[in-house]
Amino acid sequence: MKSDALRGHLDGLLLATLDGGQLHGYAIIEALQLRSGGALDLPTGTVYPALRRLETAGLVASEWSTVGGRRRRTYRLTKAGHRALAAERTAWREFTTAIEGVLGGGPWPAQA
Amino acid sequence: MARAGVIDEYLTSLDRRLRGPEQVKDDLLAEARDSLDDAAAAHAAGGLDAEEAQRRAVAEFGPVTLIARDYQGLLALAHGVRTLWTVILVLPLAHVLWELNRSFWIGSWSAFDHAGPPPAWYLAIARANDSAGWVVAGAALCALPVGRLLARRGTSAVTLARLAGAVAGVAIGVNLVATLAITVATAHVDLGRLLTSPPVAAATAVSLAVMARLAVLARRCLVFAAG
Repeated sequence: MKSDALRGHLDGLLLATLDGGQLHGYAIIEALQLRSGGALDLPTGTVYPALRRLETAGLVASEWSTVGGRRRRTYRLTKAGHRALAAERTAWREFTTAIEGVLGGGPWPAQA
Repeated sequence: MARAGVIDEYLTSLDRRLRGPEQVKDDLLAEARDSLDDAAAAHAAGGLDAEEAQRRAVAEFGPVTLIARDYQGLLALAHGVRTLWTVILVLPLAHVLWELNRSFWIGSWSAFDHAGPPPAWYLAIARANDSAGWVVAGAALCALPVGRLLARRGTSAVTLARLAGAVAGVAIGVNLVATLAITVATAHVDLGRLLTSPPVAAATAVSLAVMARLAVLARRCLVFAAG
């Protein structure tokens, strides 16, 4: 999948990976690749600035902590982040429903 | 040394391209190193030799020019936020300290009213100058939540940094104009007020120096945002 197509959805994808709890950056990248079946080929270095921008927006919070014996910066959703993720999911479902209705190949409704 | 070399070279190249607050830069680079080390370890566990694993990790991280652009935007934004906080804290503080200094060395302004009270236009300029520091600090304070709102709507870090620099620049400019206006007006009404107390004159010079420093910080927001 092309990275240009992903950029517009990157914020929502990153928020979704943190829905299950706090993760460090590389675990977020792994989660993105795993849940997309390896289809997301975004340069991994672009994930960190995106996470920091989400932090500036107040949608995620981060801190240095020890994970598996190593110090890592971990990220978690804020309350505003949970709300933003819910809104992203609603908007995505509405979008895919509308597009599926046209592109999905089902029978067209009868003309009046 | 090839084992450590590939990731080190990449991070050194990235470091050289970045300008901004050192603490933030070190933090970003430390996180990048963690990610590259993790990726290299994963590739090594998958069967690649150490150097190839690092090359793969660096390739996946992205071209250094592309990554540096994103990181530079963050550094510019961090500098912009710091500059706004500096404006918020320093301008009112400088005004309060100047007034305390003036009241210590000169006392009440009415001490100068022996030649009659100052004209109304002078009092209007004086009131504007008294409130300028607080008004511009309030505007800078309002810019912070506005910036957060814009970030939630997807505004880039570079654009936010430019906006922060613009707000800080206008705030400092308004404060500077107010200070110069009251200085020129005072010289016009009663030059003695400016020259009577060297400590107060020195405090005015210090205030102007503080504003000049803040102007440099505001300009750096734009310089850092330009990459």
